[in-house]
Amino acid sequence: MSALDLARGQFALTTIFHILWPILTISLSAYLCVVESLWVRTGNIVWYRHARFWSKLLLLNFTVGVVTGIPLEFQFGTNWARFSQYAGQFFGNILGFEGAMAFMLEAGFFGIVMFGWGRVSKGVHLFATTMVALGSSISVFWIMVANSWLQTPAGVSVVDGKLAVTDYVSAIFNPDMPWGVSHMWFAALETGFVVVAGVSAYYMLKRRNSDFFLHSFKLALVLLAIVAPIQIWLGDGSGYDVFATQPAKGAAIEGHWHTNAPGTGADWSLLAWPNQAKQANDWSLEVPGMLSMLATHSPHGQVKGLTDFAVADQPPMLPLLYYAFRVMAGVGFLLMGLAFWTSYAVYKSRRQPDALLAQRKLLLAWVLAIPLPYIAVECGWIVREVGRQPWVVYGLMRTKDAVSNVPASSVSASIVMFAMFFVVLAASFFIFARKWLKQGPDLTLVPPADPKRADPNSTAIGY
Amino acid sequence: MNNAVTESLLMHAWFGLLGLMLILYVITDGFDLGVGILSLFRPRESETDRNMMIESIGQVWGANETWLVALGGALFGAFPAAYAMLLSNLYGTVMLLIASLIMRGAAIEFRHAAGPKYKLLWDRVFGLGSLLAAIAQGIVLGKLLTGLQAGTLSLGFVFITVIGVVSGYALLGATWLVRKTAGWLQRTARMYSIIALCATVGCAIVVTIGTRVISPVGSARWTDPGVFHVLIFLGVIAAAVSCYVVYSIAKGGDYGPFNGSRVLFLTSFIGLAVSLFPDLVPGHLTVAAAASDSSTLVFMLLGIGMVLPIMITYNVYQYQSFSGKVISAEH
Repeated sequence: MSALDLARGQFALTTIFHILWPILTISLSAYLCVVESLWVRTGNIVWYRHARFWSKLLLLNFTVGVVTGIPLEFQFGTNWARFSQYAGQFFGNILGFEGAMAFMLEAGFFGIVMFGWGRVSKGVHLFATTMVALGSSISVFWIMVANSWLQTPAGVSVVDGKLAVTDYVSAIFNPDMPWGVSHMWFAALETGFVVVAGVSAYYMLKRRNSDFFLHSFKLALVLLAIVAPIQIWLGDGSGYDVFATQPAKGAAIEGHWHTNAPGTGADWSLLAWPNQAKQANDWSLEVPGMLSMLATHSPHGQVKGLTDFAVADQPPMLPLLYYAFRVMAGVGFLLMGLAFWTSYAVYKSRRQPDALLAQRKLLLAWVLAIPLPYIAVECGWIVREVGRQPWVVYGLMRTKDAVSNVPASSVSASIVMFAMFFVVLAASFFIFARKWLKQGPDLTLVPPADPKRADPNSTAIGY
Repeated sequence: MNNAVTESLLMHAWFGLLGLMLILYVITDGFDLGVGILSLFRPRESETDRNMMIESIGQVWGANETWLVALGGALFGAFPAAYAMLLSNLYGTVMLLIASLIMRGAAIEFRHAAGPKYKLLWDRVFGLGSLLAAIAQGIVLGKLLTGLQAGTLSLGFVFITVIGVVSGYALLGATWLVRKTAGWLQRTARMYSIIALCATVGCAIVVTIGTRVISPVGSARWTDPGVFHVLIFLGVIAAAVSCYVVYSIAKGGDYGPFNGSRVLFLTSFIGLAVSLFPDLVPGHLTVAAAASDSSTLVFMLLGIGMVLPIMITYNVYQYQSFSGKVISAEH
């Protein structure tokens, strides 16, 4: 394997593993905000106990997210030095914003969220939780600004072989940015709400503290019923934007080879096997005229086919792109259906909560749904990043020109190291999460007096 | 004001801001890493000691480490060429740093979740991660000062900077423990402080001589008019502060040793900044050559420069929320 392939492999490995964690941090901290607000507003102790219970999962998850995020901050310099030099004036700037505005907010208040009960008032605690949620969402914003700019670079010009920023407003608000930011943020929210609903369903299925978990189940469901349809709408908008701004990517994810003639609609393949060597699909199941509707929202809209692009400018790994896109979209619809159906079931059983507990298959479906949003997020990122190839900065810099001049052996060694760390981190997380699941919520927890300052000169230890 | 003046003002402002972030990182995460290094010296049966030590940094280490992330991002944006050159040239060292920070960060949280059988294992991972992070940062310092030179002499120099950073962090960690703990552990921390101080001062002297002899910094920058006087002035302050730390430890002060150690680091890093300037990577890359265009530097100044005071404010608030001595974890 070449140093380029290895560097790409390392980037894929570290980002695919890392993104699993922040999406739950973003949504679970937002969920905790809602829970703590309910606690502050209603004074119902159930919400306090929920806050304490879910925050333990947040801590485990946050830990893995933080440590797996470290490589991402530095690997642009280690593995993609030429890209860093070429695009650093905008891209590095934005990563700097993320570090200063988002991480510090998260890290600065996380200690108070985890260890501050009883040391600060519940109002201040809610504020700290809100700041962690806000910090993680600001992080989504800047990271997606940086990434969307790679997809649709704007506001820059080449000066002395480097990209200089000529217009910050158009660079930040580049064409892909509104879709990139919102689609990712909603993906994160959906993930956390599915996790909360799934874990709550698990306890209800086991008939353990069912009343307690009915609260979190219903709350997550309400939030999902709002978020899931919006996410589908955002997905449709992102697709429309991709066909307009990155036509080769659009054609690749739909296995679309030939531009439709004027006055006709492009056919949409529901399923197919794209074959790059043949520059055609091996087989496909087509819906006539449908792709023009999906891609351009008009019956005869022109959709460029892949054969309009030189093979060197086409994205690689077409079947991966094609099916990753379908899995992502499929999960989106599946989760929306499940959320609506379950909301209806909850509504029907509103006078007898036990009726919901009797719907064991429905509860089991939620437990089994836990991995789905994670799979969808990974597939979405594959579509986004592999679909942008062969470019690192779309239309401006090719990935092969971006890589550092570092020996392949060094890159291989670091890949092995990361793989080993990730196995240990994932295994440890699952062991501890299982313990957390087995232990369950502490229904005897009483909120500390507000604020407790028995001895101002000592740090009480609370775990 | 003409463009050249604005440009030069901006890049120097960013050189200063990066220096500020670096010193904030080194002092705050320095004591975290120092506590980790010292935890390796607490034997298997001293679990209570380790609990107290780790508890003393439990709520703040994450925010402290974040200064490094902010520094990395700011360097990437303000001086992309330096970010690219340093990180790709120090590939192995950076990977070691990343690995060590993963070990430290995961272990400090997972030790709480782990069963009693595995606590010692996680504690050792935490200590080892802290030690390796200090070593990696020592290598970066040594490589930077020698202008990325290869060769046996440079290797020896890097070896000394590594020992210097490890013992310097141990000094910060030990004096932090003097401040945060009481009783037996505090007395032990005082002893650690003295040992670490001696090692740090020793390394600092050797590194200074070494820099003069083998580094482009010593042969070029230090001979610029006025520079050596500044360095001598800083050296006098450092010597006085070192004496104060010893005095304060002997007197049984709680806060003095840590405050003194912080000033010691501050003078060392001002010395480093004075020595590097106007280069970022001595002999390879000047501040001016590495800097982004003015448009980027202004925009970053608006974004990061404005939030920096806010960042510092809530950091201080966080420290205040967890001020005072750590009391026993057993309950």
